[in-house]
Amino acid sequence: MESFFVRYRNLLVLLAVLLAQIIGLAMQVRHTDNGRNSLDTKDGTGVRLIRLWADALVTPPERIFHGSKLGALSLWGNYLALRHVREQNQDLQKTIDRLRLEQAALLEDARQGQRLQAIVDFQQKYIYKTLAAQAIGSSGSDQSRVFYIDKGSDYKLERDMAVITADGIVGKVREVFPHTSQVLAINDQSSGAGVILETTRIRGILRGSATGRPQIVGILADQRIQPGEKVLTAGGDQIFPRGLPVGVVDRVVKDPERDSFIDVIVKPAAHLDRLDEVLIITSTQPRFSPDQQQDLATSEALKGVEAAAIKEQQKASAIMAERLPGLTDPNAPPAAPATATAPGQTPAVPIAAPVPKLMPARHPDRFTPGSAPNPLQDQGTSAPASQESKPAATDAKPQSKPAQTPNTAPPHLGRDQ
Amino acid sequence: MALLGADSRRDLGIRSYPMLVYVLAPLVAVVLQAWLPRLLVGYAWFDLPLVVTVYFALVRRDPIQGTLMGAALGLFEDALTHHAIGINGVAKTVVGFLAGSVGVRIDVENRTIRLMLTFVLSLLSSVVYLFIHRVLLGLELDWSWLAELMKAVGNTVIALVLFHLLDRLQIRD
Repeated sequence: MESFFVRYRNLLVLLAVLLAQIIGLAMQVRHTDNGRNSLDTKDGTGVRLIRLWADALVTPPERIFHGSKLGALSLWGNYLALRHVREQNQDLQKTIDRLRLEQAALLEDARQGQRLQAIVDFQQKYIYKTLAAQAIGSSGSDQSRVFYIDKGSDYKLERDMAVITADGIVGKVREVFPHTSQVLAINDQSSGAGVILETTRIRGILRGSATGRPQIVGILADQRIQPGEKVLTAGGDQIFPRGLPVGVVDRVVKDPERDSFIDVIVKPAAHLDRLDEVLIITSTQPRFSPDQQQDLATSEALKGVEAAAIKEQQKASAIMAERLPGLTDPNAPPAAPATATAPGQTPAVPIAAPVPKLMPARHPDRFTPGSAPNPLQDQGTSAPASQESKPAATDAKPQSKPAQTPNTAPPHLGRDQ
Repeated sequence: MALLGADSRRDLGIRSYPMLVYVLAPLVAVVLQAWLPRLLVGYAWFDLPLVVTVYFALVRRDPIQGTLMGAALGLFEDALTHHAIGINGVAKTVVGFLAGSVGVRIDVENRTIRLMLTFVLSLLSSVVYLFIHRVLLGLELDWSWLAELMKAVGNTVIALVLFHLLDRLQIRD
């Protein structure tokens, strides 16, 4: 027996390691109702622990690499600038050169400041509460488009918080660790976001792909969808607030699996491959500045005054409508009486809808209204029909008369009188 | 291809390295694998943990060591993704085992053989990964064989440099 284990030691170790991993994999996969397998949306405790250890081990060196990259770039930039100054010093006067270089440096600083200010401004103007973070690492695999940011539960980040930039949406927080978080980008195969096309108002679900280009899948073929149309978040996925820019339509391709459907390839607005600073929406409760709050209060106060003014205008227009004689048809059938009347108020008298009068025809023919011959009268059998129609015509006149009295008003204003 | 018997293998000897190399090389590989794709956007056609696994499994000529290192590095890679933990683990376990087994029989001092092995094992790793993802777990996954081929070529190019560097770190009598 001992010789068996010694002889097949390598294979036994291999099988044991493989078996352990396969059992672990089986525990992470669930069979869904639609007959497909899927991963648990939320990691189990054991899996989360492994991710936490891996993150804790990788993040510190990544931070160092990230910091050293910036330092090296700065050092390299300074070296080039210094060499440039030396070369110029050989040709030009030292003072003028120094001043020029200082000016160039100041301009560069200003530009850099403007770039940084842009994202700060966006954060301040943005209606939702956001937190700025820096992307420090990635998964290292094309099959998993996730990246890591330098903020975690220490900044009260939570799962499924939206991650955006000033350009557009980026993804959502998938896992939160003590000092870092894992963000699932919108171009990952497993990500999804509710979106709407700005012009055509067609809704769909944005999904990632193996190529890294997100696409809106499963929408019916529509000729109106054209490249360049803006794509916005629809707000129905409980993650991204409504109306955030997602990107623009790049091209439209046929759904390979279903004939009448199309896939809309989207060019993301945010530079998903070159992310440095991102914003995490930590609260979707609207955040208003003191000025905006004051404006809101003023608007609320003005609402009552505006409503009264609108009522006055409506009343005046009703009176004007009654005084204009040509807008009512004396031969029009009676309008239905108002059924709902508030208790204690006089019922409104209905008026006939205004019908424009037709000018009399200069040369009447058989197509002129009222001049068409009645075939029944020609045959001498029109007596019962004409007898039946006469009372209807005579009944219409007395009922339409009150509509022309000056005290009448449109039905919708009856309650006010 | 030079095939070796057991005696020749003993004659060649098994390389050994300072403990720091065993710890730092895999760790640096994993960290760089997570960090470099951010710099080389769209051109990150390599898998450093795989290259390190192949190297140590080959030069140590020990299938068990290759198996364990492959499993550890694969699980580590999985932990940094949002996929199930174990897919890369199984793929690299198989690669580590095979590299260690081949190292017993083949003259791994030959650079050409090492590079060819790296290329083949990279493709094998991709095949195993796809098999586990689609067949074993039944999960959907878009796949590009061209990208995997490019990755295998990238691994081979990196191996050309990395193997040379790591060779210099071995303990010599």
